[in-house]
Amino acid sequence: MIYLDNNATTQVAPEALEAMQPYLSKFFGNPSSAHALGREMKQAVEQAREQVATLLGAADTSEIVFTSCGSESDNWAIRGVLATQPSKRHIITTQVEHEAVRNVCRLLESDGYEVTWLGVSETGELDLDDLRAALRPETALVSIMLANNETGVLFPMDEIGRIVRERSEAVFHVDGVQAVGKIPIDLRRTEVDLFALSGHKLHAPQGIGALYMRNNISLPSFIIGGAQEQRRRAGTLAVPNIVGLGAACRLAQQDSGHEMIEKLRNKLEDGILEQIPNARVNGTRDRSKRLPNTSNISFEHVEGQNILEHLDQAGICVSTGSACHSTTHESSATLKAMNVPYTAAQGSIRFSLGRYNTETDIETTLRVLPGIIEKLAAMSPYVK
Amino acid sequence: MSGLSEVATDHFFNPRNVGEADEPSFTGRAASLICGAHVRFSIQVDEAHVISQAKFKAAGCSVLVASSSMLTERVVNVPTAGAAIIGQNCDELTRNFPDLEPGSEHCPKLACEALIAAIREYSDAARDEWVGDEALICTCFFVSERAIEREIAARGLKSVAEVTRACNAGGGCGSCHQLIQEILETQNDLSR
Repeated sequence: MIYLDNNATTQVAPEALEAMQPYLSKFFGNPSSAHALGREMKQAVEQAREQVATLLGAADTSEIVFTSCGSESDNWAIRGVLATQPSKRHIITTQVEHEAVRNVCRLLESDGYEVTWLGVSETGELDLDDLRAALRPETALVSIMLANNETGVLFPMDEIGRIVRERSEAVFHVDGVQAVGKIPIDLRRTEVDLFALSGHKLHAPQGIGALYMRNNISLPSFIIGGAQEQRRRAGTLAVPNIVGLGAACRLAQQDSGHEMIEKLRNKLEDGILEQIPNARVNGTRDRSKRLPNTSNISFEHVEGQNILEHLDQAGICVSTGSACHSTTHESSATLKAMNVPYTAAQGSIRFSLGRYNTETDIETTLRVLPGIIEKLAAMSPYVK
Repeated sequence: MSGLSEVATDHFFNPRNVGEADEPSFTGRAASLICGAHVRFSIQVDEAHVISQAKFKAAGCSVLVASSSMLTERVVNVPTAGAAIIGQNCDELTRNFPDLEPGSEHCPKLACEALIAAIREYSDAARDEWVGDEALICTCFFVSERAIEREIAARGLKSVAEVTRACNAGGGCGSCHQLIQEILETQNDLSR
């Protein structure tokens, strides 16, 4: 199997698995317990917290709170910020956020909040003047992702932070789920207040996330119960997963593998564009402004879902921006916001590489794909 | 593959009869406003009204592709009347997709609609070219205007469905329903 769907989830790193194993067997205690076993668990959690803090460039380990997933982190950040300043009813976000942000903001909009949805250019980039124009005294929150999950396009988080700080009193939340472990991040040098991450995107297991909270930020708890996480998030800590996340962060810190990944991504992307007519990259062609592992490519007049199924049959895992949902044949919100024409958006495939991909994976994909596209394109009623 | 029978899966991965039928051919199209899918059938019909070639092109999901491929195979060497009836009985085709997601039932139907539309185009042309003594109305079952008029008069028929039941006219591709309706109106006006 050739796995090119690392933006969906990643294989747990052997290093993470190894670090976790003792906490799935002999170290089974509750880190809140006062006995030796409890202390052992607590120590493991604090070590992981430090590893996460180091990878993110947090000023202090206390700025890291463990959650169950990226979506929880995003939900908590957004709803928490609004709860602390009830008189401010304006939110700024983008049209291309992950559902964990987009759908929360949509819901808030129906609850009476005013939401400014910043659009993007055809290359998937923001116009920061739009942000400047949208900031107002009553803006409670700016929530803008760091890396787009579908196209890999990066938003200039540092600059956005400066603009938000200089021109408003809004809190700045970043959905960083897709970027952590793939590009260097140094939050202490930014104006980011809140930053969500998810373990399974960087070779930790599923079911663990974290929220970075700058030290002056205090949010009401999203999950009510015990006094865990300095009373910020109740619930017994998922120690094995937390340890796995810590180990994965350490691994990414030591060797992100992304020089190699970028080389393979470029080889794949160049190869596809060279061999296949009517293929186009969705997102900026300036690769320094995209994640090093992602390539979102449209094959015009070909159905993305059908490409996916043919690749799947050949043992290659990818994803498509155009799932034929039960009642709507909806193309992705990101591609729509980028004004990708319908016939191209329908045929979009996301290739997302990871540290375990090899040269052979890419060569095999480049050998198999052109035939599939040719076969499917022959079926299109739009071309003679 | 999930949702597709073994046969349908094979048709999806190895679709038969992709392309356009040789000229002279007749074309039918169908598109879904629900999902944006689009399918085109083209058929060639011999002097005996038998479909000699059936081809398709489709922009849509695996269900649409497999349905279209299966349907082209089913109707080759079948008279247009029989092919139209196959198209009407879409349920038979749908059986190849045992776990269709709710809302996707329209996909096999689109293939059937495109096939019937192609047969209608053929029927309209065949009707226009007909040079017999009596005007031909139903080209699928070869029923003339006079025959239909006789049935209406003899049995006091009032609707297209009654005419179809009485003499098969209109029971195939349906391209003559409007004409039968007009005959009914004229006849019933005269007999009033």
